Amino acid sequence: MKRARHDIITEVRARVPALNLKMNGENLVYLDNAATTQKPSQVLDFLSDALVTRNANVHRSMYELSDFSTMAYENAREKVRSFINAPSRENVIFTSGTTASINLVATCFCQRFVGRGDVILIEGDSHHSNIVPWQITAERAGAEVKVIPTDVMTGAGRSGRVAVEELEGLLSDNVKILAITQISNITGLHNPVGEIISAAHSKGIPVLVDGAQGIVHSPVDVQAMDCDFYAFSAHKIYGATGVGVLYGKKDLLEALPPYMGGGDMVETVTYQKTTYAPLPLKFEAGTPNFIGASSLLPALEFAEYLRNGEVGEAVKEEEGEIIAYMLDRLSAPGIELYGKPYDVGEKIPIFTFNIESINAGDLAQLLDKMGVAVRSGLMCAEPLLNSFGAVSALRASFAPYNTLEEAKTFIRCLERARMMLS
Amino acid sequence: MTIKEIEQQIVEEFSLFDNWMDKYQYIIDLGKSMPVIDEARKKDENLIKGCQSRVWLDCREEDGKLYFSADSDAIITKGIISLLIRVYDGHTPDEILESEIDFIDTIGLRSNLSPTRANGLVSMMKQIKLYALAFKEKEKALAEDKYSVEDVQKNVIRALKQVFDPEIPVNVYDLGLIYEIKVGDDRNVFIKMTMTSPTCPLAEDVVNDVNNAVSDAPGVKGVQIELTFEPEWDESRMSEEARLELGLM
Repeated sequence: MKRARHDIITEVRARVPALNLKMNGENLVYLDNAATTQKPSQVLDFLSDALVTRNANVHRSMYELSDFSTMAYENAREKVRSFINAPSRENVIFTSGTTASINLVATCFCQRFVGRGDVILIEGDSHHSNIVPWQITAERAGAEVKVIPTDVMTGAGRSGRVAVEELEGLLSDNVKILAITQISNITGLHNPVGEIISAAHSKGIPVLVDGAQGIVHSPVDVQAMDCDFYAFSAHKIYGATGVGVLYGKKDLLEALPPYMGGGDMVETVTYQKTTYAPLPLKFEAGTPNFIGASSLLPALEFAEYLRNGEVGEAVKEEEGEIIAYMLDRLSAPGIELYGKPYDVGEKIPIFTFNIESINAGDLAQLLDKMGVAVRSGLMCAEPLLNSFGAVSALRASFAPYNTLEEAKTFIRCLERARMMLS
Repeated sequence: MTIKEIEQQIVEEFSLFDNWMDKYQYIIDLGKSMPVIDEARKKDENLIKGCQSRVWLDCREEDGKLYFSADSDAIITKGIISLLIRVYDGHTPDEILESEIDFIDTIGLRSNLSPTRANGLVSMMKQIKLYALAFKEKEKALAEDKYSVEDVQKNVIRALKQVFDPEIPVNVYDLGLIYEIKVGDDRNVFIKMTMTSPTCPLAEDVVNDVNNAVSDAPGVKGVQIELTFEPEWDESRMSEEARLELGLM
């Protein structure tokens, strides 16, 4: 017999202890999931157990405790590999986060492949983490950073989605790499990643995909996507903070010079010359955050639990209703939603908006008093927000464990705050 | 009312509300009713750094007292500034600089502000005190300009005549202990002086007294004192007045 959706979602929520917190005397409604997600018990238990039973430095020692630790670290790598369908564990590098993954590629790729007069193409809807590393390395190389505009920037629309029709004209011979975003952390819109990648590849240009939001809200198959690099963070997909993943195609990763030097990334060292460890350790200098990284195993298992079977079905239904409800309520007069989809299917439950003549920070502050946690400000995407004509905005971002009921609470509290402030 | 009394008044007003939503509503209403700042004064130099929302703070002086006006794109922030302005408005720079306000903690506002907003509050208070300091410096500079170098020279001598040698009942100037007085165009004063004897155990006290007296003399900006025993002091250096005083004439 099919279980009721409500029962299934209640069971999901029971697995995430933070969802039972009270803030300012009210039940916490946590809607800042695009910034970080709350952790399920299976991750919390795994972490505390790891600190007791698997706490020894990885890849170094001959004793059993160290084997346990190395195994847990490598098991997590294997889990990531299968989760994104990478061909091999060699393609999966652990970093400290999406930002670190992008910086690694920006630094090493530019050092090897980018020179004076070359062009790096980024996207108009990028997070700062997929803008600034390229600016820094382009400056070093004497290259130029150009932007694939959004429909807002070209004047073709108001969604904030990448204007893919502009790409053809930008793909000149001196473009060396594209750094794109799978799903914007402001608009919550899927970009036509496949289309962009095949256009770039037809000119032989590699593509890095920022998957910080994408990995959470869509199944990712890096081979089907055919991206050359894919970056994401563990903490946004129920894992520990301070851990990220960089997927890269093997030939490219091998062609890149090492990033940081230190322990574990070497084969042999003399004072004169060092040979480097094979992939993936070549890019994992120093003691990695092996405890945090190992938490990707239960974290991705939790992500799969949320995606598959009756739970997956229930979560998907709930999410669809949340998106429909929020899009409806946020199309009320006086509200400007950034990231209005052309087609509802391209939208994930991230809602960034402003209410006419009301400061987003004021709204966030009052919402907090009512137990609702949302983000206000620039959300690390100043150029994109500015292109909408905004200097700050309010963002409510949902995770699969959020409910339609919470969306309704949010709207109710938002209305109250709006009344108080207008 | 003093700054403390106004603070007390605000604390009492807030004690009337029993929940935070009402307190916030009150702050919001204060923000809404605040007189708007002149658009021309919303210059970048009046923009306070460290606030999540944009805040402009302007200050003018009237009869030695300071008056503030402010604006923000966030109403709650504006309400909080209006409380700050109510506390500080119409007070002298000295009163503002000496004040240590605590009503924000007493009414629990600080812990209710998000950390980014609390930082903004600190920046606002810092800016108010910086204005007070700037006006104080300006006043002092104006006062300094009132005295010419010659005036200051006279004022210094007048001040020196108020400092007495610990052993001989004559002031240091008439005793001839002052070898040199130089008043710079910047009104900084240099004094070269000696003691009646190199072994004088109270030398340090005398130098301190001279320093204090000269520093307080009208128009003086700063003092530098050099103690020397070259040439050695003798009675011939005393003024006629001093000699008369001591019955040496």
